[in-house]
Amino acid sequence: MSRHLLTIAILAGLVLLLVAGVEALGIRVFNRIATNLCISLVLVLGLQIFMGNSGILSFAHIGFMGVGAYTSAVLTIPAQMKGMALPDLYGVLQGIQLSPYIAIIIGGLVAAAVAAVLSYPLMRLSDAAAVITSFALLVVLHTVMTNWSNVTNGPRTLFGVPRATDLPLAAAVAVLAVVAALAFKESRTGRLLRASRDDEVAAGALGVHISHLRWRAFVLAAFVAGIGGALWGHFITSFSPNAFYLRETFVILGMLVIGGANTVTGAVIGTFLVTGAFESLRAIEGALNSARIFREQVIGVTEVVLALAMIAILIFRPGGLFPTREIGALLARKFTKRKHAS
Amino acid sequence: MPNPSLKVVDVAVEFSGLRALNGVSLTLSPGEIVGLIGPNGSGKTTMINAMTGQVPLAGGQVMLGDKQISGLTPRKIALEGLSRSFQIVRLFNNMTVLDNVESAALAHGCSLRVAREKAQTLLGEFGLSPRADDLGASLSYGDKRRVEIARALAADPAFLLLDEPAAGMNEAETEALLHILAGLPKSRGLGLLIIDHDMSLIMRLCDRLHVLAFGKTIAEGKADEVRRNPAVIEAYLGSEAARA
Ligand SMILES: Nc1ncnc2c1ncn2[C@@H]1O[C@H](COP(=O)(O)OP(=O)(O)O)[C@@H](O)[C@H]1O
Ligand SMILES: [Mg+2]
Repeated sequence: MSRHLLTIAILAGLVLLLVAGVEALGIRVFNRIATNLCISLVLVLGLQIFMGNSGILSFAHIGFMGVGAYTSAVLTIPAQMKGMALPDLYGVLQGIQLSPYIAIIIGGLVAAAVAAVLSYPLMRLSDAAAVITSFALLVVLHTVMTNWSNVTNGPRTLFGVPRATDLPLAAAVAVLAVVAALAFKESRTGRLLRASRDDEVAAGALGVHISHLRWRAFVLAAFVAGIGGALWGHFITSFSPNAFYLRETFVILGMLVIGGANTVTGAVIGTFLVTGAFESLRAIEGALNSARIFREQVIGVTEVVLALAMIAILIFRPGGLFPTREIGALLARKFTKRKHAS
Repeated sequence: MPNPSLKVVDVAVEFSGLRALNGVSLTLSPGEIVGLIGPNGSGKTTMINAMTGQVPLAGGQVMLGDKQISGLTPRKIALEGLSRSFQIVRLFNNMTVLDNVESAALAHGCSLRVAREKAQTLLGEFGLSPRADDLGASLSYGDKRRVEIARALAADPAFLLLDEPAAGMNEAETEALLHILAGLPKSRGLGLLIIDHDMSLIMRLCDRLHVLAFGKTIAEGKADEVRRNPAVIEAYLGSEAARA
């Protein structure tokens, strides 16, 4: 028990340290980066809840981020702006204007509800079949977002989402997500799901209802993704369906895989590392471009480096940086080992 | 009320034309230990797979008292009280030994606290307490086997089916295992079916033996009677000679 608390303390401490540091520095760029990091953290932790415990790679996650973002946007865009932002919006929704904080939670709930309905039949699948159907699900969600003009403004950018997310809010939600992911992992559902991840046949022979537990994890993951998407929508204030597609999927997956999908610690460390690397590379890219060292513009370095890092991790450390044990457990073990030795 | 017996009735299993089991019947009652023996490839593992729903039956039934359990999924059969180990050990490799054993209790509806207590008691019985925090993958072969049996027991089964539990254990380990297994029917009231090639273990442990060869029963009955059965000697000597 104490080791779980230690893990929470360390991971939440990391987030709080980031917030304190950025607030102390008071530089706007850092504030934006840190807020984005906290939102990414929410998304990565959501993905960890499903992927880490079930062992099934899911591409659909970012689709649910989009569901949350659009839901919360539609519920909060001021009534007088809705005529412009969403001219074809259904009558019932035109007059609604909720507080963003309530709308963010509804965003999560709607994402969870959509996931609950769509995913139930898919959870019997394992391995490649499961991965491919999750990818198909992402494509379906993306297609709906780009074509359901009444509520998304179609492929065009949706403007006028009220700004409500700041660094403290994003950080608070990220800390809650850390706690939720750890609590789920240690719950009955989480434990049995991890058993099925390690050996499906043995878990089935113990009486584990694998598809049902996977479904629960998937729905919870979609809830967290929906919250993350809504948070992001109220931070960026305008977006199009392309924000919730392959690029974002790749980045979030990269963070989780590099850190280690099986642990919450891995999700957190991966998010910090990849965000740090991304922002540094982007700064270098910008510096190179403004100094005109190369004749052409330098673009895409960040993506290439992330891809290479992912490949390297998958080859040399397939479980990621934290493949099995949480940071709290690692430290507790070290401590007791040393005590035994002395 | 004592548990009902587990009855395998005239079971057949086919693998793309090959009859791995051909009309085998066997009864396992609570409180007894039955040894399932026979040469390699005779269908012993398939027998456990048939009882726990891991392979479909081409004929016959498996009954638990009056209830037919063949045709159910392995999960439902497990919840009916059948627990098993695997010939090739299947541990949850990225989980600790304690978590491995707890998982079985959790799957059977125990609370987190009760599951933990149960798992700790079992680890103590199997001498595995020092390993509690180690990962499944990091264990020695003998320890893996012990964890798998402890895990099967954490489900509080009415029937325990063990597929070569002593394989890969040294003499001292086998002796310790024998001691634990021998006590199970009394302490837990369960019926134990055990497959093993160690005849000394089998003879000391089992009340009854059931002998398979080529997917058919060639002998069954009291252990020392079966041992003197010419058909059994023939099947064993034949296979031993062929293996040598
Ligand atoms: N999944 C399977 N697919 C095809 N053949 C199998 C399968 N499992 C077992 N067999 C065959 O069934 C026969 C009995 O195997 P098995 O039950 O493992 O024997 P034992 O456990 O007595 O050594 C063997 O001929 C084996 O090759
Ligand atoms: Mg076998």
